[in-house]
Amino acid sequence: MAAAHMEVNSENDAIQRKQSLYKSLDERFGIQKEMYRGQQYSQIYFARLHLMRTLLYSLLPNWKPHVPVCTVLGLEEGKECIIVGTIYKHMKLKPCILDEYSKERSATPLVKIHNFTSSDDYLVLEDESGRVKLCGTVLLPSVYVTGSVIALLGKETGASDFMVDDILEAGFPHQIERPLVSGEDKYVVFVSGLSVGGSSSNPLQFQLFIDHITGHLGDEKEQSFAAQIVQVVVAGNSVEYPSALLNGQNLSSKDQSRLSEPIKELDILLTQIAAGIPLDIMPGPNDPANFCLPQQALHRCLFPGSSSFNTFRSCTNPHSFELDNVSFLGTSGQNIDDLEKYSDANDKLEFMERTLRWRHLAPTAPNTLGCYPFTDRDPFFIETCPHVYFVGNQDKYLSRLIKGSEGQGVRFICIPRFVDTGAAVVLNLRNLECHTLSFGTELSP
Amino acid sequence: MGTNGKTRKRPAPPTPAPATPSPQQKQRTTMEEEDFDEDVFLEETLLQYEEEDSQRRALSERLEKWKRPALSSSYLTHSQNIMFQQLEIDYVIGDSHKELLSNSSGPAAIIRIFGVTKEGHSVCCHVHGFEPYFYINCPPGMGPDDISHFHQALEGRMREANRNNKVPKFVRSIELVQRRSIMYYQQQSSQPFLKIVVALPTMVTSCRGILDRGIQIDGLGMKSFMTYESNVLYALRFMIDHNIVGGNWIEVPVGKYKKTARSLSYCQLEFDCLFSDLISHAPEGEFSKMAPFRILSFDIECAGRKGLFPEPTHDPVIQVANLVTLQGEDQPFVRNVMTLKSCSPIVGVDVMSFETEKEVLLAWRDFIREVDPDIIIGYNICKFDLPYLIQRAEVLGIAEFPILGRIRNSRVRVKDTTFSSRQLGTRESKEVTVEGRVQFDLLQVMQRDYKLSSYSLNSVSAHFLNEQKEDVHHSIISDLQNGNSETRRRLAVYCLKDAYLPQRLLDKLMFIYNYVEMARVTGVPISFLLSRGQSIKVLSQLLRKAKQKNLVIPNAKQAGSEQGTFEGATVLEARAGFYEKPIATLDFASLYPSIMMAYNLCYCTLVTPEDARKLNLPPECVNRTPSGETFVKSNLQKGILPEILEELLAARKRAKADLKEAKDPLEKAVLDGRQLALKISANSVYGFTGATVGQLPCLEISSSVTSYGRQMIEHTKKLVEDKFTILGGYEHNAEIIYGDTDSVMVQFGVSSLEAAMNLGREAADYISGTFIKPIKLEFEKVYYPYLLISKKRYAGLYWTNPNKFDKMDTKGIETVRRDNCLLVKNLVNECLHKLLIDRDIPGAVQYVKNTISDLLMNRMDLSLLVITKGLTKTGDDYEVKTAHVELAERMRKRDAATAPNVGDRVPYVIIKAAKGAKAYERSEDPIYVLEHNIPIDPHYYLENQISKPLLRIFEPILKNASKELLQGSHTRSISISTPSNSGIMRFAKKQLTCIGCKALISNSDHTLCSHCKGREAELYCKSVANVAELEQLFGRLWTQCQECQGSLHQDVLCTSRDCPIFYRRKKAQKDMGEAKLQLDRWNF
Repeated sequence: MAAAHMEVNSENDAIQRKQSLYKSLDERFGIQKEMYRGQQYSQIYFARLHLMRTLLYSLLPNWKPHVPVCTVLGLEEGKECIIVGTIYKHMKLKPCILDEYSKERSATPLVKIHNFTSSDDYLVLEDESGRVKLCGTVLLPSVYVTGSVIALLGKETGASDFMVDDILEAGFPHQIERPLVSGEDKYVVFVSGLSVGGSSSNPLQFQLFIDHITGHLGDEKEQSFAAQIVQVVVAGNSVEYPSALLNGQNLSSKDQSRLSEPIKELDILLTQIAAGIPLDIMPGPNDPANFCLPQQALHRCLFPGSSSFNTFRSCTNPHSFELDNVSFLGTSGQNIDDLEKYSDANDKLEFMERTLRWRHLAPTAPNTLGCYPFTDRDPFFIETCPHVYFVGNQDKYLSRLIKGSEGQGVRFICIPRFVDTGAAVVLNLRNLECHTLSFGTELSP
Repeated sequence: MGTNGKTRKRPAPPTPAPATPSPQQKQRTTMEEEDFDEDVFLEETLLQYEEEDSQRRALSERLEKWKRPALSSSYLTHSQNIMFQQLEIDYVIGDSHKELLSNSSGPAAIIRIFGVTKEGHSVCCHVHGFEPYFYINCPPGMGPDDISHFHQALEGRMREANRNNKVPKFVRSIELVQRRSIMYYQQQSSQPFLKIVVALPTMVTSCRGILDRGIQIDGLGMKSFMTYESNVLYALRFMIDHNIVGGNWIEVPVGKYKKTARSLSYCQLEFDCLFSDLISHAPEGEFSKMAPFRILSFDIECAGRKGLFPEPTHDPVIQVANLVTLQGEDQPFVRNVMTLKSCSPIVGVDVMSFETEKEVLLAWRDFIREVDPDIIIGYNICKFDLPYLIQRAEVLGIAEFPILGRIRNSRVRVKDTTFSSRQLGTRESKEVTVEGRVQFDLLQVMQRDYKLSSYSLNSVSAHFLNEQKEDVHHSIISDLQNGNSETRRRLAVYCLKDAYLPQRLLDKLMFIYNYVEMARVTGVPISFLLSRGQSIKVLSQLLRKAKQKNLVIPNAKQAGSEQGTFEGATVLEARAGFYEKPIATLDFASLYPSIMMAYNLCYCTLVTPEDARKLNLPPECVNRTPSGETFVKSNLQKGILPEILEELLAARKRAKADLKEAKDPLEKAVLDGRQLALKISANSVYGFTGATVGQLPCLEISSSVTSYGRQMIEHTKKLVEDKFTILGGYEHNAEIIYGDTDSVMVQFGVSSLEAAMNLGREAADYISGTFIKPIKLEFEKVYYPYLLISKKRYAGLYWTNPNKFDKMDTKGIETVRRDNCLLVKNLVNECLHKLLIDRDIPGAVQYVKNTISDLLMNRMDLSLLVITKGLTKTGDDYEVKTAHVELAERMRKRDAATAPNVGDRVPYVIIKAAKGAKAYERSEDPIYVLEHNIPIDPHYYLENQISKPLLRIFEPILKNASKELLQGSHTRSISISTPSNSGIMRFAKKQLTCIGCKALISNSDHTLCSHCKGREAELYCKSVANVAELEQLFGRLWTQCQECQGSLHQDVLCTSRDCPIFYRRKKAQKDMGEAKLQLDRWNF
């Protein structure tokens, strides 16, 4: 793909912007040809189980070589065996659409909770043949969520539960080794949660950011850093609509045109970036895109200005691409936010790590996370291990380099909301090192 | 026997009915709960061969592990007392026991008591020697000689009437005893009565008939007699005479029982004993516990033909699911399903597959026999499942199938019964007698104990268990059956759930505890509680009490219907309005029972007008009731009814005190069940005296009770309004704004809750002091605010302590009526919530306006507009055309397979149609409406559904309620969808239009016309926002249905129209497809 270059200075000692080779891997997240024809969600679970089972079966010889493998149906009381299936987590606090119809409206409204786990939750393993309730202390209900596929070793108890003795997760996928490139620094900048048009967004802050990365600000040192930025990724929630406009009632024509104001403003800002640096924009939950994952690329008609540059790419969410053979995989945050509602972990990076170990970007889709009802595939299955795994729209910046059992090295990044923190994340392609770039009243890169 | 079409309402077998039925007999058919004994002759019920098949031996091994625990040696050697909790008592006619009863012979009634020991052994106890009897008045001057003449004459008449009977002696004995009739106050303590003992229970009835009509006695001439206690069922008679109450513990000491020579039942412990050797334990302390009886919950599936409800003559039984639970345990210990044709395994469930239907049925029979349940439960089993199985076996010619009871080779008997009572109306039902096992149909219980908008298992479970059940339409059951072992497994899982839910309901609502307690309190067998009305319970208590007092109860029903009716309870006029000051409510605690106690109202204290003149009772010894009757006070004669009530209420007090002390949840359950049973029993006593078609109506009592009740309400009103006045030193004048049967609402005028509560307490104490004990006025709660609409219609916040309200209480307001659509219920609820809790009148008004606007703008969720009505008969049988019947006919023409059948509930919506179309022509199937974009008629809903309930609520609050709510500017914009299949649209050609302005565009590649091109971003945002909203809904709805069906990997099949999201789910699916297509047009 063509990489853009620009001149930072009109003088002779112009600093040349570096370039890198970009390859989009978004094709599997497209749903252009698919239709709603009355299909349900069972098929995507089936596809997922099928993929994952083949994978897990191939790992069994190294895990427990001599233990027989059963289906849920084939379980016999007291016989040790391995079963593979989809986890279903029974949660009493899980909100339910039927509650809207509950007969007694409680006098005091429930406190809105952001985490629906409770100590009464229990897990069930399901395959095409049936379900079995899981018990034992090895498997923690707080860790797993509905939709993850794992292998379990154990035996059926008299009470027709399955006593779990050991767990096998698929683990990090195989990774294509990162090319050892020259000692040249190249940077990728991630930003998310711009919330243009929102009540708390600060236009100056974003302008500072743009001016900085395009090299319009700072001294030579800073400009030469800016010139090493080869890619900008906007990971979701770029605009925000005034909430008063979206109450479900019909809009007057005046309000209707107000609806597209934030996006117009965004277009103007993005045009400035796209004029200089390759730019990927992903849709997020607040953007004018569909709701279900995979979210389709924001329509080009929304960006009459920036889309005229070939550096501007509107991408899907999840988004996957390669830059100089370094592979990237990321989302605008919905997958991890949903895991946080339905399971527990120490920090967001742990949730991210789990999705990679379970080989599934969004295990809770479709159960609690909106998802297109695919019929023959599960695009969220992670086939190869990315070098960089990022999620957008998080509360704070977090990053860690995690090694897999086969030596896979993955850089995990939580991108903070720009509107709240004024921070973007910078990744060095050379060594996958990472830091933030904050823009406030004081400039402190 | 049992298959020869005997009905309950026939005279004693085998005599033919008398040629000319007397008027009295005619009347019998109209009477409620006429109880007849029906003799079952043991020898006739038994099959003469025992079928044993080697092929089924393999199965029996499989069933073996569910057998009851083996007997210990002390049981086997008869060296232990046998103690058991009895659950069922019946009798059978057999030869009298030669060893136990050496001096009698010929056929005799043998009582059979079935029960369970505390170790879980099943018991069948044959009790010998108890003879049926009744009383008559002894005519004055009848000497011992006359009695023997009378005996001979009666014996002769009986022999004539029962010619085919080979009983050696019909009338066993006639004995002169001293008793007194319960009716009317009498000064002498007793009179001579004749106790007539007959050979068999049915002879009581035939003997009564003879005595009623008159009998020629030597020396005395033609005489007819009033009989006493001749309407008491034999088994109940036995229980009463031996202080046995339903579900209590019975002990038979060592040496007093003999193992039966030939074992007749499948019970582990089976023995004979004499009636006098039984020890009956009162259900207290140790004996209040429950034995570990076995409860079987089952459900069957039948493969119906398309469009027809399954009929046993055609449609096979394809699956039977069973769960067996031990009483007191929370998990079933047996779960299995028997299927016709192979079925894939199910975790934790024993799946038994068979190749023929005969094998399925026989396997079930063997299962019943092996697992030996004491109680059989299910949903609608009495009317559907059990009769279906039996009729199906008959059609298939499996003679050995219906041996489901505990008696060897004795076949189950099925008969049609009608059950009618004032409370529940007339109900047709099938009675299936399974000897020794109690049937407990949860549907009957629900209909009896709860007022619900729908009694489908799905909606009942949703209501009580908060669990939706997948509902597979019967038209696809056959498809699933004809598929493979996987689809049959699907069906089996569904069938199991249907067996599981009744068990859950039973546990959750503690029916076993409550019903056993009710049986113990009232003294009737458990099976009576469901199959009979209230009066048998009162009669049982009355008989028990009367026996202690040497009183006898006349069989005098015919008096009833001629007495006419009497004035009911008083309702003080309601001063409708919205009260924003606290309203204190003063309640009479158990008003009617306390009146009966306070004024000693009873059959035996009633003084007839002639007696009143004759006896010349001093005025201080009698009470004249406001309705003009005279009753003596308790110093002359203590009434039986007051005594029963005192005991019931004292027992309830004790139970409530114990309940407070109790820690163990099980014990709590028992005690709570008990106090509830006691309360219900106390309240049914009054009803018993007023039931004009009941066992012993006495309108003098019931009209006195209500007249006292009225007087008390008036008295209270007067006292409150006289005392709580500004003149009397209070801040405000108190006002009675409303009064109902046993409560009075007072506005004291104070505005703080605390002050109102204090005044309420003061008033209650003050007024209670003016009543005779135990009548007591209690202060219980304050309504604040209170919306009084009219008599028996009100709503308010209910406070019992001044810090926090307890709940919102509504009465008579459209919150549960099932004829209304959900919109009405939601709207009314939400408005009341806003008015009473948020105290936000403008908010409530705005909410109503928004809802009306949504309705007119076609933005309403269709499921809120669905109205359902039960289809009770086919269209031709209805005289008036009604919406749901017409629709059912139309749907049958479209597709007979899915059209509603008789017995189904028909959901429909009202659609827009040509002007002047009748309402019944405008009903339409909601699914059809969704699929074809048919516009609904918002005005119908506005005018016929929501306007009345809304105005009722708002009229006390707003001045121009109707104008304000129903005619404002919010009613001006209307949007109606264009139908896709009717009228002119069928001829319309579809053309692409600009998404922005609907102008036609010729080039199909374009989305917008040239004028709208500039608004591209804006219009795209709108389209995509619509898609996003639908996607979210689609996801939530369909994953919820996966949740309900309990599987992620299988498609949702459920078509439960009772489910609130069913139509929404359908609509989301359809809208989603359309919205996606629309969005795809942007991808040029």
